Amino acid sequence: MKAFKWSFIIAIFAYLYLPIGILVINSFNASKYGYEWKGFTFEWYAKLWENEALTQAFLNSLLVASLAATAATLIGTLMALALHRYRFPLKATASSLLFIVMMSPDIVLAITFLVIFIALGIQLGFWSLLIAHITFCLPFVVITVYAQLKGFDKYLLEAAQDLGASESRIFRLIILPLVFPAIVAGWLLSFTLSLDDVIISSFVTGPSFEILPIRVFSMVKVGVSPEVNVLATLLLAISLFLVTLSTLLLRRKH
Amino acid sequence: MIKLPALLAAVLMAMSTALHAEEKLVVYNWAEYIPESTVADFEKETGIKVEYSTYENNEVMYSKIKLQKGKGYDIVVPSAYLVSKMRQEGLLQKIDKTKLTNLKNLSPDLLDKPYDPGNGYSLPYLWGSTGIGVNSKEIDPSTITSWADLWDEKWQGKLLLTDDVREVFHMALKKNGFSTNSTNPDEVKVAYEDLQKLMPNVLVFNADAPREPFMAGDVNLGMIWSGEVIMAQADNPDIHYVFPKEGAGFWVDSFVIPVGAENVESAHKFIDYMLRPEVGQKVVEELGYSTPNAAAKALLSEELQNNPVIFPSAEIMKTAEFQNDIGDAMKLYDGYWEKLKTGE
Repeated sequence: MKAFKWSFIIAIFAYLYLPIGILVINSFNASKYGYEWKGFTFEWYAKLWENEALTQAFLNSLLVASLAATAATLIGTLMALALHRYRFPLKATASSLLFIVMMSPDIVLAITFLVIFIALGIQLGFWSLLIAHITFCLPFVVITVYAQLKGFDKYLLEAAQDLGASESRIFRLIILPLVFPAIVAGWLLSFTLSLDDVIISSFVTGPSFEILPIRVFSMVKVGVSPEVNVLATLLLAISLFLVTLSTLLLRRKH
Repeated sequence: MIKLPALLAAVLMAMSTALHAEEKLVVYNWAEYIPESTVADFEKETGIKVEYSTYENNEVMYSKIKLQKGKGYDIVVPSAYLVSKMRQEGLLQKIDKTKLTNLKNLSPDLLDKPYDPGNGYSLPYLWGSTGIGVNSKEIDPSTITSWADLWDEKWQGKLLLTDDVREVFHMALKKNGFSTNSTNPDEVKVAYEDLQKLMPNVLVFNADAPREPFMAGDVNLGMIWSGEVIMAQADNPDIHYVFPKEGAGFWVDSFVIPVGAENVESAHKFIDYMLRPEVGQKVVEELGYSTPNAAAKALLSEELQNNPVIFPSAEIMKTAEFQNDIGDAMKLYDGYWEKLKTGE
């Protein structure tokens, strides 16, 4: 039984991480297509360094993803608080409208955004892209934070009110620390969603602002180059670093 | 302190004049489908700043241009069937040929085709073909000469087809002696019924990169694009390319100027630049696709010039039929296509 448990765990992890491992290995593979090992090389790293268009798209993607995630987290957290704490007309409608955004196929949102931006005369580029990304990230933040809010003991808030704490104090000292993990999770989720998105982005961005996923998908015409493996490896290294850092920080705190 | 606003104003003015002084060109194309150094050289020579934007398929490009009514981009590079569609929908503007000094370099083989008679709206950039790929380690390439050979029962569960309605129907239409642009329901039905017979042989439909399963050794026979063969051969010389005797599929990507382009002058300069022989030569050397530029071809090495994958013989070119927009008949194809893939 124990052997089964371990082989199952190993199988799951292999399934999850083997492809990533192969990608990392191929970023050092001298063969352009990676079907066989043709020697160790840093060639693709050097090439990526020179590939201005690809690195620029990468930086643009990081910029939009972090801004969109931050804005969506701010707005989404406030929205979740409102849905949780206050009663207002059409509250149920407001929360189900969020689900509609979440459940709509990307292509529907993409066309909707494009039509609206054109109708409003907003030039396609950085701003249109950012607005669209904030919009489709928003429901994910609201739902993550709202679930956390629903989970905690409401007597905590009543006790605080009883003891004369002001609204802002309750927020700062009780609500915020309790939902903080959900806020972080919402931010990370938004960041990933924004970084991944192809369909909506390809419709709402303009020529002045190109992002990574579009560029990578567009490479199918002439063949995706190994520089993309390198880029993915770097991204992986960055996220590993961030995850490790946050674990260490959290551990010190407790 | 009083000086600050004045200074600010001066800076702003300098910035705005700098912005106005700089000529711009917005190119909408596949990533790396024009070598980056070529774009950089063009910028250096002309002082025109190029914004290079990319799309991942013809349809995304088309919907974006269509919804923006042809505004926002100065140069686009659609495939032939879309050139005819966009031209008919008034999304393209006429190319002013008096502004082009290098027009004479283009080979007449690829001009004046039905998708744009007289080339009023488009000039070819690169082209290629869809034929049969064979791994010579497993199959003798000389035994495969036609599309009909793929129907042989011995290939059961072995073939790769491209995941493209028009290309797959091209194969069956040509096998039965019809045009690849047929809109005759009877002919399309015959092709469909023939394809049904082919289905047991099909292992996989590949949308992005047919070379990959060939290189991985998963398939040894099937449809493939000429450019993909050139890429694959760099790593695995066993992969051969056959022009089926009924006629390979041909596609061409062309430069067009959308009707709402803002930098029409720069767009013409860019097209003219791309038509230079030495630029065309560099494009072929970097990308491995075929150039319609006869003067550029003459500059290439003997080896490239005589590579039949890149430059098929005059005989093959004479019968080459390019894909055209087929309008409403597309629905008919799509219906059959769905049935084929769901195995009805």
